[in-house]
Amino acid sequence: MAIIERPSAVPTFAGAGANAPAVVTPTQGLGVFKRPVAASGWKSWVFTVDHKKLGIMYGVVSMFFFLVGGVEALLIRLQLAAPDNTVLSAQVYNEMFTMHATTMVFLFVMPMAAAFANYFLPLQIGARDVAFPRINALGFWLFLFGGIFINTSWVLGGAADGGWFMYSPNSSPLFSPGHGVDFWVLGLQITGIASLVGAINLIVTVLNMRAPGMKLMHMPMFTWMVLVVQFLLAFAMPVITVALFLLGFERNFGATFFNVDAGADPLLWQHLFWIFGHPEVYIIILPSFGIISEVLPVFARKPLFGYKFVVFSGAGIGFLGWGVWAHHMFASGLGPVSVAVFSVATMLIAIPTGVKIVNWTLTLWGGKLWFTTAMKFAIGVIVLFTIGGVTGVTHAVAPSDTQQTDTYHIVGHFHFVIVGGAVMGLFAGLYYWWPKMFGKTLNEKLGGWNFWLMFWGISITFGAMHIVGMQGQPRRMVVWPEKLTGEGFFNLHFWNQVATWGAFTIAVGVAFFIVNVVVTARKKERAPLDPWDARTLEWITASPPKEHNFDVIPTVHALDEFFHRKYEEVEHEDGHVKLMKVKTAEEILAEEEARADAHIHLPSPSYWPIVLAFGLPIIAYGVIYNLILSFVGAAIVLLAGFGWALEPSVAEDSDYDPPAGGDSTKELATIG
Amino acid sequence: MLAHLPRRRAAAALAILGFLVAGCAKNAPQDIFRPAGSNAREIDDGLGGQKYIFILAGVVAAIVIAVVLFIIFKFKDRGQDIPEQTHGNPMLEIGMTILPAIILITVAIPTVAKIFNLAKSDDAACVVNVTGQQWWWEYDYPVQNCGGIEITQPIVTSGEMVIPAGVNVQLRITSRDVIHSYWIPRLNGKRDAVPGSLQPLRMQADQPGIYTGQCTEFCGLSHARMRQAVVALDSDSFATWVANQEEAYTSPTDALALEGEGQFISQCARCHQINGLTNSDGTPVLANPEQNLVSGAAPNLTNLMTRTGFAGFTFDLITDACREKLWNAPSEEFSALYLQGVWMDSPAGAEYPVCFNETALREWLRNAPGMKPMFVDPNNLSSTGGLYRGMPNLGLTEAQIDQLIAYLLERK
Amino acid sequence: MADIAVHEGAHAHEHDAHGAHATSTGLSNNKLAMWLFLGTECLLFGGLISTYMLYRGRLGNGPGPGQVFDIPLTSISSFILLMSSLTMVLAVNAAKEGDDRNTRVWLSATALLGALFVGGQVYEFTAFYQEGLGFTTSLFGSSFFTLTGFHGVHVSLGIIMLMALVGIITRSKVPGDKAEVVELIGLYWHFVDVVWVVIFTLVYLIPA
Repeated sequence: MAIIERPSAVPTFAGAGANAPAVVTPTQGLGVFKRPVAASGWKSWVFTVDHKKLGIMYGVVSMFFFLVGGVEALLIRLQLAAPDNTVLSAQVYNEMFTMHATTMVFLFVMPMAAAFANYFLPLQIGARDVAFPRINALGFWLFLFGGIFINTSWVLGGAADGGWFMYSPNSSPLFSPGHGVDFWVLGLQITGIASLVGAINLIVTVLNMRAPGMKLMHMPMFTWMVLVVQFLLAFAMPVITVALFLLGFERNFGATFFNVDAGADPLLWQHLFWIFGHPEVYIIILPSFGIISEVLPVFARKPLFGYKFVVFSGAGIGFLGWGVWAHHMFASGLGPVSVAVFSVATMLIAIPTGVKIVNWTLTLWGGKLWFTTAMKFAIGVIVLFTIGGVTGVTHAVAPSDTQQTDTYHIVGHFHFVIVGGAVMGLFAGLYYWWPKMFGKTLNEKLGGWNFWLMFWGISITFGAMHIVGMQGQPRRMVVWPEKLTGEGFFNLHFWNQVATWGAFTIAVGVAFFIVNVVVTARKKERAPLDPWDARTLEWITASPPKEHNFDVIPTVHALDEFFHRKYEEVEHEDGHVKLMKVKTAEEILAEEEARADAHIHLPSPSYWPIVLAFGLPIIAYGVIYNLILSFVGAAIVLLAGFGWALEPSVAEDSDYDPPAGGDSTKELATIG
Repeated sequence: MLAHLPRRRAAAALAILGFLVAGCAKNAPQDIFRPAGSNAREIDDGLGGQKYIFILAGVVAAIVIAVVLFIIFKFKDRGQDIPEQTHGNPMLEIGMTILPAIILITVAIPTVAKIFNLAKSDDAACVVNVTGQQWWWEYDYPVQNCGGIEITQPIVTSGEMVIPAGVNVQLRITSRDVIHSYWIPRLNGKRDAVPGSLQPLRMQADQPGIYTGQCTEFCGLSHARMRQAVVALDSDSFATWVANQEEAYTSPTDALALEGEGQFISQCARCHQINGLTNSDGTPVLANPEQNLVSGAAPNLTNLMTRTGFAGFTFDLITDACREKLWNAPSEEFSALYLQGVWMDSPAGAEYPVCFNETALREWLRNAPGMKPMFVDPNNLSSTGGLYRGMPNLGLTEAQIDQLIAYLLERK
Repeated sequence: MADIAVHEGAHAHEHDAHGAHATSTGLSNNKLAMWLFLGTECLLFGGLISTYMLYRGRLGNGPGPGQVFDIPLTSISSFILLMSSLTMVLAVNAAKEGDDRNTRVWLSATALLGALFVGGQVYEFTAFYQEGLGFTTSLFGSSFFTLTGFHGVHVSLGIIMLMALVGIITRSKVPGDKAEVVELIGLYWHFVDVVWVVIFTLVYLIPA
């Protein structure tokens, strides 16, 4: 971790003891321009490199895109609520489901996981920031600008209409002539760079910057799962990048990579897309697995059952995830040998996934369960993900899959996995970590409404989809006809309406979350330092955490370090040994503060990440409208790169004010 | 949480009930749990079959949910001590890893067998080439002996594929433009139609009847309106159908229909072929869809009125009541009824068939893209080099439409 | 990417200077990041090479590899690129010894050799174009130009980084550990060379 000067206005830290660290401020800026120094106001956010601020911004922006994608989903459900409905035209409907999936996957679930990873990964491993704070900021701005860029297509002639899988040759200029697909291709390239640099950054952070004593097998499970995800990202993103380049070259520069008339093989796209796309599924789900592996032990008052098994099953899922991509192509005509191989490989992946479910269940077994909202969401994940998981096994069986693929049965299946598994898990994280991030606990009563509405909404919506799928309703259909509706209990009419009502139930549940956020923000009451009696390092600091995370980097002795500092086995008078709380969180924090590092240099804010990120959508608009614009964008990127390069990461000694208190030794505490 | 238990139990019961009720005759025509032919049965039956997996999945989910519910009751915080900090039990965990592995092996082995069974092609007694394009299917029957019936000249039809019941038919599926997917749920799983390659798929229907399906690979604007059906006929009826398809063209005698023939030649024959149709000078009228359409093909209309649907089997050529009757006909009556087509129930010698769905065909001739969207902006064909994607609005007058309908009604 | 890493990276050295604890792996953040980045690049080139291998025989109406490739010329430019790896090693050595002058010399030499290679590629592309193989001529053309073009862009970015580094060293403004910065760019440069060895073998030497 670079030791970089961090200007700060006033060193006011919650609970700062007598030995609170002095803060040093650079007296002059270096590089091309003077560095930004604002410690408050919008500039302190826009130019920040603080992983916590970036985490919050990731969260806010992805929550916004969640609402956008949710509105798209509701429109889709409205259209499908009745046969031969006319809420949306065929073209708009196709754009709607394409953008719903794109938004939810790339602009909500992934960045929301990135929000948690950014915020909590350094805290959980006892670091003061990530390895490359400016790259971290770059990743956020690329994600934001990429997301905005894709969505501007709505007002610039229509969004992409080829489905999120964008199969060729339907995505070629002949069959999809508007600019929608171009926006999609270029937008995903931009957000792809964000994921890639973020992945490298977080891997380095985890591998290199753990607190003393924190072995890999002492890392909290969330950190572990995020690490696996970053490896998946690092190696999956380049593959989709290649696919997107090929498609972009075909659409904009006349190449023929997917043009059958020129002899191309349209399955090339499918292979490239799914080699990325299947690891992507685990990229989506594993952070949530990590979150609930944190939440369940805390509220069961037991360690995670079979920690090592969960770690290795997570890594196993990540590894096997590379060998199953063609199960998305069982109907493509790969030939029986390939189909058989991928069918069996896909079944294999059920085993490590099953291990996780078993371990979570056994974590709860014999516990002392406290049903907070976070816990409810986490248990909800076990239930809903199991349902999504077992229906997944029915798709691993290739012959059976050829009946279910591309029907609503599949849609129901993966929504149980993604909404019931990933999104519910993210909500568990929100409720669990909210007091850490903002110092206030979300309202539990509203949280209950939020949970139950989402839980039943998800069960109803996607349960109903299983039924309409089994009745033969394919997906991606703007209309379903009256004559194929059937009668009796399973008629499509009824179950489509049920699905629509369920979707609105989920929406109301989400609305409760937003209300909860507003209500919580307005209340005065602060959360206790350790509201959940938690187990991991992120709770050995103030809430919200200090700018530098820890006054002194904690030394780690065990898995669940914080818990073991609080609890000890005490022998009672009657002779039996009981686990007793021997220290409060406040006492532990006070101990840490008492031996605070004297001087802490934090990464300095920088203009360059946002400027560099801003250049990319300009390049992209240029590719679509006028290449001159691209050169302008490229120039911005290049200049920002040079600015970045010339901005030293370590300031000269002379650039610092003498530390407060007259200590002039200038010894620098490390951040890493 | 506890208060919601009965409801959750009810939901579980409902789900189990669901599995039991599936297979009921009132279900939707594309119900995937109602196999009507050997291939769909292969998918459905036995270990590694759809039914078994679904039940297995249901049981596993039910067990997990039951255990979770039990835990919620049993280990709720009632003021008990902080539990012992156990970190796991390797033997238990290994056991819980091996158990699902064993269950999966019982599924995996029959699955692999099924995959190879379904890929067999040596027992086919008939071949049909199936070609998808935006947004309809074309069937082309090469000259062959199809399940005992001689096909002596190639037959080209669309929408509905007519096959002899009980015969294993080998489809050779491809596409002229984007990727489509051929799916008749009651007869077999899906198979993509990939341009530039031929994909095999077997179809066999035990009984005469109509088995509907849809294109299931997203194929653009009117993907939702690309449907198909397989019509299985008993052997004699299939022979009749083949003979009818191969009958030589006769010009209409009726004056209105004769005018319709002229309209067809001037308005429709650019894209649509009618075999045997000649110009006034006796030269054959040859459709030229390559120069008019992106996909380079339009449905052959030689025997349009032997079909029950049009425009990618999306719209009915027969009225709703007649469709209901045909679709629900017992298998022994089905073949005869189907062969009557739009003439079913029409009294002998009736000039105007009772079952003919005139409204739909009229509307189609008036403004096809209004019924089935076929390009985003019909006025802008620059992206396709002036080619249409599907049928454009021809701006026909009502009189022209009258003539065309009279003419088309004779294409039987 | 690399210059980003360069500047973020100087901390490891800083730790050493202050005797603070090293990273958990013992590898500096910058180097670890660079290795990871090169790992992702493997996948990128893997995808492009696979595409080329799939399409190299699909010539359409255009010329094929046998007709356009000038193996002797490309061999020379490949040799030049390989030599640049040698000069890069010398630059890294010089940087480690703290010899600014020689570092600059060898970095410049590397950039020059890289530029010669890119020049050769531009010449080659022009020649192919005149022989009837354009970017859109055939699948072979599209995938060939895409693959080698991506490589060329990588070399060009490397040259920009090398020249920037020379300039920065001249002005003595390298933040942090100069030797490590040189080494990082060296890693990138060697990687690009190795990729070229693979491309040269698969594309030029093994006949379609």
